[in-house]
Amino acid sequence: MTSPSLAINARNLTLTLGSTAAPVTILRGIDLDIARGEVVALLGPSGSGKSSLMAVLSGLERASGGTINVAGADFAGLSEDGLAAARRGRIGIVLQAFHLLPTMTAAENVATPMELAGASDATPRALAELEAVGLGHRTGHYPTQLSGGEQQRVAIARATAARPELIFADEPTGNLDAATGEEIINLLFARRAETGATLLIITHDASLAARCERVLTMADGVIASDTMTGVV
Amino acid sequence: MSLPLRTAWGIARRDLNARFKGLRLLLVCMFLGTAALAAIGTLTSAIERELASSGQELLGGDLEVEVWQRSLSDAERNALATYGNVSSGFRLQAMASTPAAAAPIELKAVDAKWPMFGTLTLTDGRSVGAPTGNDAWIAETAIERLGIKVGDSFTVGTVTLKAAGVIQDEPDRLSEGFALGPTVIVADAVPAAAGLLQPGSLYQSKHRIAFANPQRDAETVEEALTKAFPTAGFDIRTRNRASPGADRFVRQMSDFLTLVGLAALVIAGIGIAGGVSSYLDQRRGSIATLKVLGATSGDIVRIYAMQIGVAAVIGSGAGLAAGVLVTPVLGAALQGLLPVESGFIISPSALLLAGAYGLLVAFAFAAAPLLRARTYPAMALMRSGVVPLARDKRALLATALGLAAICALALLTTAQPMLSGGFLLGAGAALALLAALGWAIQAIARRLPRPSNPLLRSALSNLHRPGAPTGALVTALGFGLAAFVLLAAVQSAIDGNIQQRVPREAPDYFVLDVPRDSEPRFFELVQADFPKAAIRTVPTMRGAVLAYGAKDAMTRVADLKELPDGAWGLRGERGLTYADAIPQGNRVVAGEWWSPFHNGEPLVSVDAELAKAAGLEVGDYLTVGILGVERTARIANLREIDWESMGFNFLLVFSRNAIADAPHNLSATIDLPDGSDSAARGRLLRGLVKEMPSSSVIEVGGILTEARTILQQVSLATLAAAGVTVLAGLAVLMGAIAAARAARTYDTVMLRVLGASRRQILLLQLAEYGLIAGVLALVALGLGSGLAWVVVTQLFEFDWLPDWREVFGVLGLGVGLVLAFALAGSLPLLAAKPARALREL
Repeated sequence: MTSPSLAINARNLTLTLGSTAAPVTILRGIDLDIARGEVVALLGPSGSGKSSLMAVLSGLERASGGTINVAGADFAGLSEDGLAAARRGRIGIVLQAFHLLPTMTAAENVATPMELAGASDATPRALAELEAVGLGHRTGHYPTQLSGGEQQRVAIARATAARPELIFADEPTGNLDAATGEEIINLLFARRAETGATLLIITHDASLAARCERVLTMADGVIASDTMTGVV
Repeated sequence: MSLPLRTAWGIARRDLNARFKGLRLLLVCMFLGTAALAAIGTLTSAIERELASSGQELLGGDLEVEVWQRSLSDAERNALATYGNVSSGFRLQAMASTPAAAAPIELKAVDAKWPMFGTLTLTDGRSVGAPTGNDAWIAETAIERLGIKVGDSFTVGTVTLKAAGVIQDEPDRLSEGFALGPTVIVADAVPAAAGLLQPGSLYQSKHRIAFANPQRDAETVEEALTKAFPTAGFDIRTRNRASPGADRFVRQMSDFLTLVGLAALVIAGIGIAGGVSSYLDQRRGSIATLKVLGATSGDIVRIYAMQIGVAAVIGSGAGLAAGVLVTPVLGAALQGLLPVESGFIISPSALLLAGAYGLLVAFAFAAAPLLRARTYPAMALMRSGVVPLARDKRALLATALGLAAICALALLTTAQPMLSGGFLLGAGAALALLAALGWAIQAIARRLPRPSNPLLRSALSNLHRPGAPTGALVTALGFGLAAFVLLAAVQSAIDGNIQQRVPREAPDYFVLDVPRDSEPRFFELVQADFPKAAIRTVPTMRGAVLAYGAKDAMTRVADLKELPDGAWGLRGERGLTYADAIPQGNRVVAGEWWSPFHNGEPLVSVDAELAKAAGLEVGDYLTVGILGVERTARIANLREIDWESMGFNFLLVFSRNAIADAPHNLSATIDLPDGSDSAARGRLLRGLVKEMPSSSVIEVGGILTEARTILQQVSLATLAAAGVTVLAGLAVLMGAIAAARAARTYDTVMLRVLGASRRQILLLQLAEYGLIAGVLALVALGLGSGLAWVVVTQLFEFDWLPDWREVFGVLGLGVGLVLAFALAGSLPLLAAKPARALREL
């Protein structure tokens, strides 16, 4: 039985990709607990398994083995579609390359996950969320009409609008200049603080990691270190 | 929990580009496929409706009995009269003349009851019936040839007629068949008064019945009459097949249009599959993002099925509208050739069928990529974009179900299930062949040694790498280029028939009903103006085959429910002759020719093809009915006939002692020296009219012009119909190249970044597409010309005379288009600086 205070509880998580003839093991038995409301940084060199761990924890990828419970849902027992349903309203994701839907306006992009979750007031909530991230004047613009920083703001609004329990961010400043990146991180932290969500953020930036309560470092598919920074 | 339809529609609508970017190939293919089917269905049903509703008018009655060289006996006339009102008349070739001019005409003599259905309209707007006394309704071209005007007089045979009006519209024109001259309509007493109905003269007497009980079945009456008068030589037609020529042509055109429709359907299907695949490939990012945001695979299918459905409905709706709009144009092109209602025609059943076909094709060909897209993983956002969509058994099942439904619909709704089934099987085989070819190209490219040149290496790996569009490209290019070949081969073969066959070895004039005792004078008349003219005369009479077979077991034609396949010579009356020597252009292939002045058992020589179709052999017997008298002869030999010589050719040639005693005249052909002047020709015609008023002349030039016009109309109709298929092929071709090119954009930009020159990249693409297009040109040549051969020789029964230079030229043009389109798309990328191109990726 998972403790209700835990947002994530994973035991002996493994992930193997590739063909049966040439399997590639990405995650090699991860044990991890993350408390509700915790802000965690995930560091590690390229190929260490950071993005794959995030994919498994956020339900984008099914683990090959082990147990995993996220926001009260047993991810190990869910199908691809079950995982998709479990993400709705519970999990928000921000990606390095923004991945906004190019054919939709900023407001429509933000409203889509709430609509998928069955919310009837998705549009006013999307507009309010865009206002909150400082894009109240850009709601009708398409992604190609927005700067990189603005696109990432829309992505943050999309991730937080449904008030999820967990927010995953995969190198959210990787495609941005330093000043814009700083703004985006401030915004992400501010939105998290307002919603009280658990935040797991993948980064290469030590100063960003230092702003988190806890820092996990990965190497070769395992968690090599797990440090509390003392930040509250 | 699946997404409510309303929410799914909201997302689908937002995600759908207002200008249908990415779905245009699907739209165009749906449009062309449905438009072709709608136009074909509408046109065919309009013709069938017109034939059914106007059958009485076209025929001039519910049933027509036609007999050669005689009128009906009292018994026959009384038998006809028991069914209803009978209108009788004659039709024959004759000469019309004035002191200054002479013209061969088609004389149509009608009684006072004519026309029993429809009306005859004159150019002055009058609707009239049969002419009375010596009045004549005359065709415009005859007026021009004779140089007269309405109210003037002219002579036919020994009577003087008055041109009382110019024919605008003749109600039963189509049922009269091929005209050998402009029509002149007169009262039924005129031919006899003009001396044109002598014993042995070649004329038809025609008797139309308007049933007293309109519900009476015409076929039953036909059977009863044939049974009651088995030796009468009746040629009977009913309102359901008013115009045998038109019937045959309707069947040929309808077969051809069925093939064109199915071809358009298959090509459109390939385009739709390609269009949906490339659209979903483009949308991979969006699909993955939606999945990241919580959409299930079912939601993905629902959202994208809605988008594709909207495009399919819009494309097919526009196609249906275009199909209806284009029908009057096709109808106008076929005017005079086929009975088609003029103006806009709406046939709900044809439109419904075309719409059903379109949507079924969209379902069958879109289901596979759509169902595969549902399994596209959300994690793909973080991985390479070249991973192909996974195989899905359900996709195969959906496609198979859709294709089975299309085949079932095609077979259930066609009048030619064998033809349609054969075509669908052929198309399936062609698709399998192209799929195997695509697989083979990939397999060979994979096994070839890796070239050291990085550009060549890239070109080679483009053919077989994961996600390479080689298979789709091969199928689309194969079918697209085959459509080009098909059109060029069919068109040039029809043109070849028009230009090469029709005029070759044709005499200048046919002269009918030259009295036997006037033969020397006839030669003198012709040779007076044209001493070098080649004149050939043959005895001619009409008769029908009544029985055939071994002496003691002869088959009565009247007892046959259906004629043996190809034994058309057994139907109705045919021209007969007798001869002492083998006719010119004929060759004996079995048995022996009789000696001159043979005086033993009556003998007959039979066309070898007719003998083969009817199972006749040398030594068997044949009975013919000539003017009501039965004559039996033994088959002495079989002959091969050169039908293209356009001289007098007879299926049956008798020994002199078999039929020479029956009343008959001579027919003649006249070949004038090249460059004979028209004044001398006019003198010859006037001389013949004056000295042999009962003879008639057919000008071959006029017939050839009419034949050419008909063939040109066929050519135009096939061009219009097949053009749609070629357009669909072109759209598919361009769509496939555009999709393949999109997949190569990344490579092109990266090669530029890595230092490849523009010229190198262009050459690379030229080599790659050149190789594929070259291989496929050969396949298309085989496929396209094979189908064209079926259309030309089996459907239209024309000679296979394609102009290969034209075919290769059009195929070359197709290959050129492929290369131009493939290269043109890369030019903007190549023109841009690498850094900028990189940003645009």
